[in-house]
Amino acid sequence: MNVLRVSKWTIAMFVLPCLLIYVSLVFVPILVSLYSGLLDWNGIGESTFVGLKNFQTLLFADPVFWPSVRRTLMFAVFSMAEIPVALGVAILLNRFIKKPNFLVSSYFLPVILSVVIIGQLWKTIYNPAAMGGMLNQVLDMLNLHGWTRSWLTDPKIAMYSLYFVALWQYLGYHTLIQFTGIQNIPADIYEAARIDGAEGLKADWHITFPMNIPIFKISIVLAFIGSLQAFDMVMVMTAGGPAHATDVISTHMYNMSFLSMKYGYGSAIAAFLVGMCLIATVIINAVFNRLERRFS
Amino acid sequence: MVTKYKALSVVAASFLAISLTACGAGGSTSGSTTDTKTSAAPTATAPAKKQENITITFQNIYPDPTDPKNGMLKKIVNDFQTKNPNIKIELDSLNTDQQKLKLKTQAASKEVPDITIVNPSAQMKPFVDAGLFAPLNDMVEQNGLKATFQEGILNWYTFNNNIYALPDGNNIGLVYYNKDLFKQAGVEVPKTFEEMVAAVKTLKGKGIQPMAIGEKDSWTGSFLFMNVLLRTNGGPGFLQAVVDGKKTFADPAFTDAVSSFQDLVQAGAFQEGATSFDYNAGENLFKTGKAAMYYMGSWATGGIETSSVNGKVGVFKFPTVKGKGNPDEFMLAPGSAFAVSANSKHLKETKDFLNYFMLNFPKEAFAVKGAVGIAQKVDGDFKAAGYSDMAMEVLGLFKQVKGGDLAFDNTMNPGTAQGHLTSIQNLFVQKKDPAEVGKEHQTAYETNKK
Repeated sequence: MNVLRVSKWTIAMFVLPCLLIYVSLVFVPILVSLYSGLLDWNGIGESTFVGLKNFQTLLFADPVFWPSVRRTLMFAVFSMAEIPVALGVAILLNRFIKKPNFLVSSYFLPVILSVVIIGQLWKTIYNPAAMGGMLNQVLDMLNLHGWTRSWLTDPKIAMYSLYFVALWQYLGYHTLIQFTGIQNIPADIYEAARIDGAEGLKADWHITFPMNIPIFKISIVLAFIGSLQAFDMVMVMTAGGPAHATDVISTHMYNMSFLSMKYGYGSAIAAFLVGMCLIATVIINAVFNRLERRFS
Repeated sequence: MVTKYKALSVVAASFLAISLTACGAGGSTSGSTTDTKTSAAPTATAPAKKQENITITFQNIYPDPTDPKNGMLKKIVNDFQTKNPNIKIELDSLNTDQQKLKLKTQAASKEVPDITIVNPSAQMKPFVDAGLFAPLNDMVEQNGLKATFQEGILNWYTFNNNIYALPDGNNIGLVYYNKDLFKQAGVEVPKTFEEMVAAVKTLKGKGIQPMAIGEKDSWTGSFLFMNVLLRTNGGPGFLQAVVDGKKTFADPAFTDAVSSFQDLVQAGAFQEGATSFDYNAGENLFKTGKAAMYYMGSWATGGIETSSVNGKVGVFKFPTVKGKGNPDEFMLAPGSAFAVSANSKHLKETKDFLNYFMLNFPKEAFAVKGAVGIAQKVDGDFKAAGYSDMAMEVLGLFKQVKGGDLAFDNTMNPGTAQGHLTSIQNLFVQKKDPAEVGKEHQTAYETNKK
């Protein structure tokens, strides 16, 4: 600091362009959509200012909205519950497989594929047996006739079928993240632990898990925010149907803004979603700060 | 030392100042280009302009190179470019859904391409109200273009006596059926809806899929449902009556339509998991001979003709329901239409091109066997040109049309239409009380009408 005595002004001057770009690309659109949320606007013609009316309708009078929030949150819960599984897989890979890279990359493969392809693939797997649906055909072959379902069109089951595809797709992603984290733990810690008599699960509980907490946090945040925004897969596989049974917040927003042409209302949903993401991030951070303090 | 760094900071600051002013300048130029555009418009009419190179953007929905319309589009565009070397037509070919979305996004920022695609009536009204389209009244008079269109078709695209778009199609809803599968099950062409339900049961009993539908795109089910409503209402105009406040969705005509439609669904007419089949997947079931019947607009004729079931397919009119309605009244589908941006930089050339395009459209479409169900009159012997028997049957039906209704989303505002589409889609996965369905519609209508 003493050597390089740059005035605060200079620093500000250098930071400013980046800051401006960042603000104009991130905050301005958020503010604009917040403002659009206060309008009654079809996205094309004249708009009228209606204050908080859109939010009022959204929170108290929209029969589709709260179920879509519930589905979105369930999505997030399932995605987060997947991460311990990913950690488990990563630990096993690290311990028992000599050259795990091939396996890790094959787990990772679905992540590289476009969601549209994945969606189409699973759609055909879920099809009724008569239409060549693989899942139902396999169930029939195993004599589990009672188990066959119309996976994507039964309103009670469709959403779970979608959750599963997302879990399948992202398992490899989280496994890779966790695996990288585990590999960064120095081997001598485990050696020291072994001398002290801690091996296997015990070593995992006392070493792998605590040392991997920051990595865990990355995974959780990615999973949570990712599932709040889940859109493409739902759109490809069911488009929110049948009759809203698989609508999540983002597809509801899309339907309102672009199909029902209530752009203002759609913006109100977007504002709600942004708020939800922010709150979730704050909560996750708080929880992990605690965890890190406790384990370090 | 200190002075050195002071010098550095001055340099840095000046750099920044420059970059900032550059930014500012950039911003103001982009802002002022629109000004120069508008101010350039008057000069554009000056005589010196003839040599100027012009690019016209033509957004269209014929992206599929295997579709005959795609080749026809390119041919007309190339012919025009050869005749007008200074004009370049830039094609922006998208599929229907993408185009709808892109246009809405473009319209939100008032940057509509020179030529774009819109749907008739209620669906194009918001765009017209926002003043985005140029009236084409003078242009359709040029070279006798207006006379090439079928009687009355342009009304669907006319607001306050101004024509804002020129349609490419004028279709009707009808039922395609697979003669082989009908014979196999010993089923006759149904004369009434009740016979149709019975035929569905017989086909189902013989292990044949009775009907195909792509209900993931929910308009498909709605199109069929609206044909049932057209019958139970004893004629067209139910939705108009609702808009005029003379009827509500609690009307027996509507609830009858719902219960009849449910009879069809409950009889097992549609393939299992129909709501996860999109339009193409649904149509493919019929085109590959896996389903006996397919209700669709006559635009499907071309596709069926080039599929493996060609030669085995016949068509019939949607039958009466509970003895009501007239089979000669059809679901009418005036097609998507070409509109010109009111803010086009080259309004005159764009209109000239569209005029040329529409004048040549019937001839070129006829040549590629895509002329069944277009909005313009076609001179030519379809039979001699090699159109199939089925296509001839469809053309025969066109001659019997005695009016009918437009699709729901062409009549009602988008919000109500979405409510309706969801409500009908729901009938494919669960049985509902018709009164309840009527109530859903009424609520959607009340909350969305202005």
